Amino acid sequence: MSFDVTSVGAISVISLDFMVPIAMTAVGEIFAEKAGVVNIGLEGVMLTSAWFAVLIAWTVNDPYLGLIGGMAMGVAFGALHSVISVWLKGDQIISGVGINLFALGFVPFATFAVWHVSGVYPPVSFSFGRIAEISTPWAPLSYFVPMSVVIAILFWYVLYRTKWGFQIRATGENPEAADAVGIDVEKTRIIAVLIGSALAGLAGAYLSIDVVGQITKDISAGRGFIALATVVFSGWNPLVGLLGALVFGYSEGTATWLAGVPEVRSAIPHADYLLGAIPYIATLVVVAVAIGRSRPPKAVGIPYKRE
Amino acid sequence: MQSRGEEVLKTAAITKIYPDGTQALRGVDFDLARGEVHGLLGENGAGKTTLSKILSGILRPTSGDVFVNGKKAEVRHPKEALKLGVGMVHQHFTLVRNFTAFENILLGTDVNPKGAGASKARQEILALSKDVGLGVELDAKVEDLALGAQQRVELLKMLYRKVQILILDEPTSSLTAPETVDLFKAVRRLKEEGKSAIFITHKLNEVLEICDRITVLRHGEVSGRIEAANADTKTLARMMVGRDVVFDLVKEPSHAGDPILEVSDLVVRGNRGEDAVKGVSFAVRRGEIFGIAGVEGNGQTELEEALSGVRRPSRGKIKLGGLEISSLSNNEIRKHSVGLIPEDRRQMGLILDMSVAENSILGREWERRFRGQGIALAWAKVKDHASRLIRSFEILVKGPDSPAKSMSGGNQQKVVVSRELTDDPDFVLAAQPTRGLDVAASDYIRRLLLKTRDSGKGVLVISADLDEVLQLSDVIGVMYEGKLLEVGPTEKMTRHKVGMLMGGVKE
Ligand SMILES: Nc1ncnc2c1ncn2[C@@H]1O[C@H](COP(=O)(O)OP(=O)(O)OP(=O)(O)O)[C@@H](O)[C@H]1O
Ligand SMILES: [Mg+2]
Repeated sequence: MSFDVTSVGAISVISLDFMVPIAMTAVGEIFAEKAGVVNIGLEGVMLTSAWFAVLIAWTVNDPYLGLIGGMAMGVAFGALHSVISVWLKGDQIISGVGINLFALGFVPFATFAVWHVSGVYPPVSFSFGRIAEISTPWAPLSYFVPMSVVIAILFWYVLYRTKWGFQIRATGENPEAADAVGIDVEKTRIIAVLIGSALAGLAGAYLSIDVVGQITKDISAGRGFIALATVVFSGWNPLVGLLGALVFGYSEGTATWLAGVPEVRSAIPHADYLLGAIPYIATLVVVAVAIGRSRPPKAVGIPYKRE
Repeated sequence: MQSRGEEVLKTAAITKIYPDGTQALRGVDFDLARGEVHGLLGENGAGKTTLSKILSGILRPTSGDVFVNGKKAEVRHPKEALKLGVGMVHQHFTLVRNFTAFENILLGTDVNPKGAGASKARQEILALSKDVGLGVELDAKVEDLALGAQQRVELLKMLYRKVQILILDEPTSSLTAPETVDLFKAVRRLKEEGKSAIFITHKLNEVLEICDRITVLRHGEVSGRIEAANADTKTLARMMVGRDVVFDLVKEPSHAGDPILEVSDLVVRGNRGEDAVKGVSFAVRRGEIFGIAGVEGNGQTELEEALSGVRRPSRGKIKLGGLEISSLSNNEIRKHSVGLIPEDRRQMGLILDMSVAENSILGREWERRFRGQGIALAWAKVKDHASRLIRSFEILVKGPDSPAKSMSGGNQQKVVVSRELTDDPDFVLAAQPTRGLDVAASDYIRRLLLKTRDSGKGVLVISADLDEVLQLSDVIGVMYEGKLLEVGPTEKMTRHKVGMLMGGVKE
């Protein structure tokens, strides 16, 4: 087994690919939580959006429209979640759990309904390949990688430097205070949720359209939950969130790369499964370390009622 | 009697029924003239805050109309009220605690605190604050500010918005005497500029001093309206309560015994890591009330928190009945027959979303008498307990199942006080015990504290209300910049002397 610059490069390309969906989803969730709304249904949003993106791309034979479709599905879930939890003042956790459960049932069913395939890996594959890429000496790198960096910086800027972000943060810290000075708490929260979910939807579409090139019923593979862990790790700061996503990306990328090395495969029985657990173990470790130290927005998870 | 300016605000037959069925207002007619300060009085729960919130667009009336400058106004949102020039300073501050004062003042305006207009806005705020004499540290986080300073932030927030009609819901309940004087100066300046104010307070001499007219609410109805010039405290109290109120607190001579609480050389750090309490020593004896006077922010909060086990002192000893408690937690201290009434009832005293019944046993839920089958709490007993407190302390609330946040501020405080005093504790620590309470309720709680003392228990009262300290205490200490400047029996501590000491002046 040779471990050299080439392998580091190869691992990095895979890792950056894996960083993207977690970074985008986490940044979107930070945005929504800063306004006071948590969505633990991100996993379901990603999964359903991944499926919908493939459906659109397959129907119109255009990967870009597929990405837009995935994003639209994210927005639709954001709308559902905000109607339940912001407008009707329902419980945010229950709404989020509902979204996850829906996705778990819907995606396998809808995959079968549309393509008449079922099982673990429905062989619906596309020939789009990587849709837009930067060439590197090791492997092509998706444009989504620099894009997620830009998104993290942009969202940080909006939250901490603009008036709008200032109002969003106030809404998540103390909605009474925001309300008293004329900020529309519900509108602010709904918009933040829609934007946050759009990013989760885009992340799902990126997985199915760009990375894998197919839909599987477990394509999101816990990434929605890992994104939630990243939010905690980040202390609700999009830039730190990007860093957290990078850590998770590398843990997944390294595991994937190792699983492809013949020596590793022969040395460790069931290497796939063992290595596949690395990102989840990393999640546990990160959350355990970060949880006491990072301070969530004060009003997150609490519906705002005036009387 | 001088002639009034034109009418800027009027309500017609305002009724408010809360979703839980509580009728807070029953056909209230109210009006406000340009340049007028109109006092609004009423017992706890009379509906003063409810009326203010309707005027400032936070609540919608169940029926009735609001007119601003003669035009019918649909104020469905604070934004619309602010546009009409109506702004409110809330009884319970509406500030974002981990934002700076500057950020809080700018929140909701067109100015981005990180943007281009920020430095201009800062100049304006500084000028404004100098103008009306309300100084604040603009870059301090609100959570690090004393309540008095937070109040000033709230005021500046509204003044910066150039409101024409300012609703002040109990603005003085967390202010000290000199701060109140400053506030009144500010209000008079606003009056001269042709602005109007609605002024809510429980302190009758304050309304007499600052208001032109006074309206009294009782059980959601206007029970009377009077020109301040024709009113005195007796009349006002009768209008509020519906009967004559006797203000004279009868204080028997104290029979002080041995010390129950001994504090020696206590040093406590504040939130910013500085020493907030700098080596304080004193003793509270059984059968006496020890009063600590002082302008807020001089270490009283930290002292209170150290004594309650919420904040660990960095040096010194606290002995309760001979037992060293400085390293015990709040929970452990409570088991030693101690009643703790914290200064900030909404943060430390109550869980607002929980019911009155649940709040009535907070910190006492381990007691045997609330134990039910197995590991369950005996909810029937808890509710009985709460109902008893509601009855004997005359707490105005729908029932033991109502959430604490549905009560008026004064009644929230009654829940805390009743919970802490009802078990006959050996030692009671009461921080700002009557803040926000109406005359009758304050009187009631002061009587309870005296009764506690007369039954041979030790009481420590920390209060920014000079009159309260003078009235209740047997021994007075004045806290200034983290130190107890002087401790002496009440006879030797004149009003003038204590007032000077509060400002750091030793004669
Ligand atoms: N959110 C709410 N839900 C239900 N009832 C409420 C709510 N807020 C207030 N009330 C009730 O309405 C009545 C009027 O309350 P309000 O807060 O207006 O009194 P207040 O005059 O301001 O009293 P205080 O002097 O104690 O502040 C009280 O009976 C109170 O319990
Ligand atoms: Mg009130």
